[in-house]
Amino acid sequence: MKTDPKEIKGIIVDHRRITTEYYALKIQAPEIARTARPGQFIMVRLDDLYDPLLRRPFSFSRILPPRKKPGSGLAEGGFEICYQVVGRGTARMTRLREGERVDVLGPLGRGFWREEGRERLILIGGGIGIAPLLPWAEELKGKRGGAKGGAKKSRIEILLGGKNADRLLGVREIKKMGLEPQVATEDGSLGLPGTATDLLERDLLRQDHESTVIYACGPLGMLARVAQIAEQFDVPCQVLLESRMACGVGACLGCAVKIRAEGKEEEGHPSSPPKSLCGSGEDPETILREEMAARISAAPFFRYGRVCKEGPVFRAQEILWE
Amino acid sequence: MKSRNDDLALQISLGPLKLKNPVLAASGTFGYGEEYARLISLRKLGAIVTKGLSLEPRKGNPPPRLAETPAGMLNAIGLENVGLKAFLSEKLPRLRKLGCPVFVNIFGNTIEDYAEMARRLGDVEGISGLEINISCPNLKAGGSLFAADPKSVFQVTAKIRQTTASFMMVKLSPNVADIAKIAQAAEEGGADAISLINTLVGLAIDVRTRTPILGNITGGLSGPAIKPVGLAMVWKVAQAVKVPIVGLGGIATAEDALEYLIAGATAVQVGCAHFFDPRAPLKIIEGISKYLKTHDLNGISSLIGSLKTK
Repeated sequence: MKTDPKEIKGIIVDHRRITTEYYALKIQAPEIARTARPGQFIMVRLDDLYDPLLRRPFSFSRILPPRKKPGSGLAEGGFEICYQVVGRGTARMTRLREGERVDVLGPLGRGFWREEGRERLILIGGGIGIAPLLPWAEELKGKRGGAKGGAKKSRIEILLGGKNADRLLGVREIKKMGLEPQVATEDGSLGLPGTATDLLERDLLRQDHESTVIYACGPLGMLARVAQIAEQFDVPCQVLLESRMACGVGACLGCAVKIRAEGKEEEGHPSSPPKSLCGSGEDPETILREEMAARISAAPFFRYGRVCKEGPVFRAQEILWE
Repeated sequence: MKSRNDDLALQISLGPLKLKNPVLAASGTFGYGEEYARLISLRKLGAIVTKGLSLEPRKGNPPPRLAETPAGMLNAIGLENVGLKAFLSEKLPRLRKLGCPVFVNIFGNTIEDYAEMARRLGDVEGISGLEINISCPNLKAGGSLFAADPKSVFQVTAKIRQTTASFMMVKLSPNVADIAKIAQAAEEGGADAISLINTLVGLAIDVRTRTPILGNITGGLSGPAIKPVGLAMVWKVAQAVKVPIVGLGGIATAEDALEYLIAGATAVQVGCAHFFDPRAPLKIIEGISKYLKTHDLNGISSLIGSLKTK
């Protein structure tokens, strides 16, 4: 289902620090909540000034569709995002107060989807990347209406990792869904000492994995490792990627990621003229042709895809991991 | 209430072309139109200028391609585009349905590239005109930018003029010694209009790693930060040429657009403002309309180049 993104002024209804590192921001925005899907994202504009200039992308960590009967909390509908302070934009975000309005654009991008015939669903998240998996777990568990009959037969396994207990979230939320997450931290401050990918490997080795599917979100290194493991065990895998973005709608081509493009000469063409061209005495066209030919034979075929439009959720094997 | 007169007041002539208002979407910030069609009504725009197009598809630069800077942003997309063939077969049919005039921005690395593009796009239905991006290395002149050399600019423009009668707007780079001379060269070559400014070359550095933030090392600066530069150059070029000027560089509000008109532009392009404010072009159109009414002006023409200097 394709739905139009909306630009609206949502009302902040809750803003909490959930660990020393992470914050959760709940925004009332019925127009967005109505069509939002797990894995999709919004772009937040912090104010009308020009510094910071650009919107910031955040995936949904909770989707609260409007309820038919009025009740407590977010009867009108809204969503939650989680963030970590990494720069000026997120530093500014910490100062947002309940009751304030904030300009949000969304829902954007392609979210997670069900894989036909797969009944063992592994959701693996690292650090702040756990957040986008929460609404997906909730939908798969079938508590909310969106799940189309839920996943009665499915088994859901949740693997969470972080540097330490402060860089991990979602344990309580997952438990509330009636699921028991497996947890690993690099310093052993919570769960087993190790990484989420250690848990994944152990899990896949221990059990039959014919009907398994993996959904992953976390730092790029972790995702590359998850993709590797998924390939090794021949298990379908979806990854949610992060990227710097400017427009969020597929226009600016700023959020490029390398997508495998096997053997397609046209799309696999290296393009920018080599820098050595400028000011060299030889015929630049000849150099260009030669250098291009050399690059074509050396480089694996790929094209740049847009994280905001073709993703942020991709099949792991679509991505050219480096 | 909006009347027919309000609509008429916004109309402009860009040389031989009539546009319903002076607000265009700038190349590279608006994709092929469809990306924003789900957010705003494109029919309301004066025109859109599509993402820079080359004969062959281009993959673009390695990421990161974006860096935010104070009141601006650097981009180094690397002119990624689908190439002429895919543009004609896939993008153009959809562009025709958007309901607003389409300018196709083209670039090349030789004069022959430009001519070939112009020949194949010039008379195509659904294309109102061409915008010529000359901020590219001229491979037959040692790789220096076409845009930096009046002679090259004249040659490219004249060659395109020989090839097609289509509306031609030449987009100038601010990274030159004397922008007025470049503008005159484009005019002499037969340009119907001149658009300026393209982005300024910039660099952003991560001091922790001492590495450039952009994969391409340098990029093009756009955004509110460059507005004064664009205004000064539009004003300068307006003294030097007779053809209409389309001003761009940091326009995010109606006031910004009005400044450009007063400096000498006949129309404006909105660029990176789309990213943080997708409705910016519509707000700008409304704002200009309101300004005309408030100041009892019956058309844009009385504003163009109306800067009062002593």
